[in-house]
Amino acid sequence: MLPKLRSVAPYAALFAAAVYLYRDAGAFAAAGRPGQLGPDVWPRAVLVLLMVVCGLAIVRRALFVAADNASPAASESDADSNATAQRYHGCLAGGIALTIAYVLALDWLGFFVSTVLYLALFMLVGRYRRARVIAAASVIGSLAFVFVFMKIVYVSLPLGRGPFKALSVWILAMLGVH
Amino acid sequence: MTEALHQLALGFLHLLTPANAASLVVGLVVGMLVAVLPGLTLVMGVVLALPFTYGMGVTSSIILLTAMYLSGTYGGAFTSILFRIPGEPLDVPLLWDGYPMARQGQPAQALGWTLLAAFWGGLITCVSAVVLAVPFAQFALRFDSPEYFAVVLLGLSGVVALGGASMANALISLCVGLLLATVGVDDTYGVDRFTFHVPILKDGVEYLTVMVGAYGLGEVLTRMEQGFASPAIETGRKVETRLPRWREIWPLRPTIGRSSLIGILCGIVPGAGATVGSFVAYGIEGQYGKRRAELGSGIPEGIVAPQVASTATVGGHMVPLLALGIPGSGATAVILGAFLLHGVQPGPQIFQTEAAMVYTIFASMFAAVFGMCLLGYFAIKPLIRVLQLPEAVTSAFVALFCFVGAYSARNSLTDLWMIVIFGVVGFLFERLRFPIAPMVLGCILGSIAETSFMTSMIAYQNDWTIFFTRPISGTVMVLTALALLYPAFRYVRRTMRSARTTATPA
Repeated sequence: MLPKLRSVAPYAALFAAAVYLYRDAGAFAAAGRPGQLGPDVWPRAVLVLLMVVCGLAIVRRALFVAADNASPAASESDADSNATAQRYHGCLAGGIALTIAYVLALDWLGFFVSTVLYLALFMLVGRYRRARVIAAASVIGSLAFVFVFMKIVYVSLPLGRGPFKALSVWILAMLGVH
Repeated sequence: MTEALHQLALGFLHLLTPANAASLVVGLVVGMLVAVLPGLTLVMGVVLALPFTYGMGVTSSIILLTAMYLSGTYGGAFTSILFRIPGEPLDVPLLWDGYPMARQGQPAQALGWTLLAAFWGGLITCVSAVVLAVPFAQFALRFDSPEYFAVVLLGLSGVVALGGASMANALISLCVGLLLATVGVDDTYGVDRFTFHVPILKDGVEYLTVMVGAYGLGEVLTRMEQGFASPAIETGRKVETRLPRWREIWPLRPTIGRSSLIGILCGIVPGAGATVGSFVAYGIEGQYGKRRAELGSGIPEGIVAPQVASTATVGGHMVPLLALGIPGSGATAVILGAFLLHGVQPGPQIFQTEAAMVYTIFASMFAAVFGMCLLGYFAIKPLIRVLQLPEAVTSAFVALFCFVGAYSARNSLTDLWMIVIFGVVGFLFERLRFPIAPMVLGCILGSIAETSFMTSMIAYQNDWTIFFTRPISGTVMVLTALALLYPAFRYVRRTMRSARTTATPA
């Protein structure tokens, strides 16, 4: 029962989201002109298609999944069993958390400091343990990014705030970026 | 035709400018590197290269991306044949005969056949692009909004039907992409749609962030969940290429001819592409090839057929992209993105307004074919050393490229949140077996589809039968229906075949 529920869950979630958005589309339906299709018609048509496909997928998986194992639409549980590699959920959670933290930190720490930390921690979370390679790759890599994007591509990367801004400006001066 | 050859000759001259020539060389090297590295896909590589093109001219940008695309269809062959690791899905059929040939002590011969096939596939695809593009564009000049809607619908249906994944999942992915394209202020009525009072959503969802997030960060997260556990590869072994002799090539004429045709057709049909072309060519060889019984044992036909077809798709893809502005694959969607970022809208008029640019791109494709073969012959040994880089290190830099690339487009930190969101969406899609390409193409083509649909409805008084009663759009709509029915036909045929096999006593 549980694998069946698990394989149905994504479609049910998408179906619910489609229903919610379909109702939300009513808010801008009123903007339409008489005799013309309104701005809600196209998104609602897409949402109806989404609901129909999700509905069919739910019915198919709930009722016929055992008889239909050979179909190209293998269930998630099949996908799981086919996967030969071990799954590292901790690595994944750490990677996502680190990525969110990186985006949050960019404005405060500036591009250079946050990138050095992000690269180093990402490699560690990714189960790589050679400290010298990590240190060298993250520092040299970050400097290379700063140089290429600020000196050559002319992208204004975030400098950070307070002392981090001063550090970023010093690094830019060292790299000849003015 | 004379005019086309004249323009092509001028294109070769324009290619000699330092910026264009440098783009070509860099594109070839990076494309091959991307294809060699198992953690990076060809589309992902092209997506990551896109931000570097912001500061370049439009011609140099397209040359860079097209060269990456072309050499990427060849580079993955090395890891497939030598290490049994396909760099790209399109390289999978190559290992069925390439790896056994290498195991039989003939790796140089296997690589030689691949080089020959990539060279031929590349040349034929360039010729087909030059020959077909202008007639295609002239035909497209007759298009009105119903025809555009029908063609876009065909493109989207092709991606759903031929994408190789579950059709339901592909349709869902497409719907998500089409919905993303509706977010923001509506073009016709100026009303907010699905913005939920969030200011950044008023500008809509940038398809660049969808592409970079879903393809780039999503793939990194997928590999991370697998613990970056690619097997260690010994790259110290001898990597050489021995070209086949003329008397060895001559008997393979039917294989080369069939596969070239399959490749070009798979390129022109939206949604098919290099992977489908590669598998179909191998399958056709298994059905009609002279040595079909030996296929899989390490024969040249098993290497030549998929490689010719996959490389031959590239020019085919460029034809609808340039003539109609409709990309048929993930990589051409990125190339369309590069055009739009530089303010150039591909379509039938481009052959009049930007002829010099178009033919310089064609000329660069010819040069890229020679360049990738030279690179494959002489420089593959150092290139293949990238396989020794730890995956956690390369993935960290790929993630960083995603962020910097997305940030460079508008210098906006909010775009980075979009990258994170679509990175997680991409990971979930990968995990739940929803293909990403329909979402990306839906996001790019959604606004074109909606605009042409709404314009048709306004122009023809809400008469929806107009899509079926006009000759061109009606024909295209029938093709769309066939494309959508094809997976059902395939499923029924497979079920009947398996029922017959079960009924037949062993």
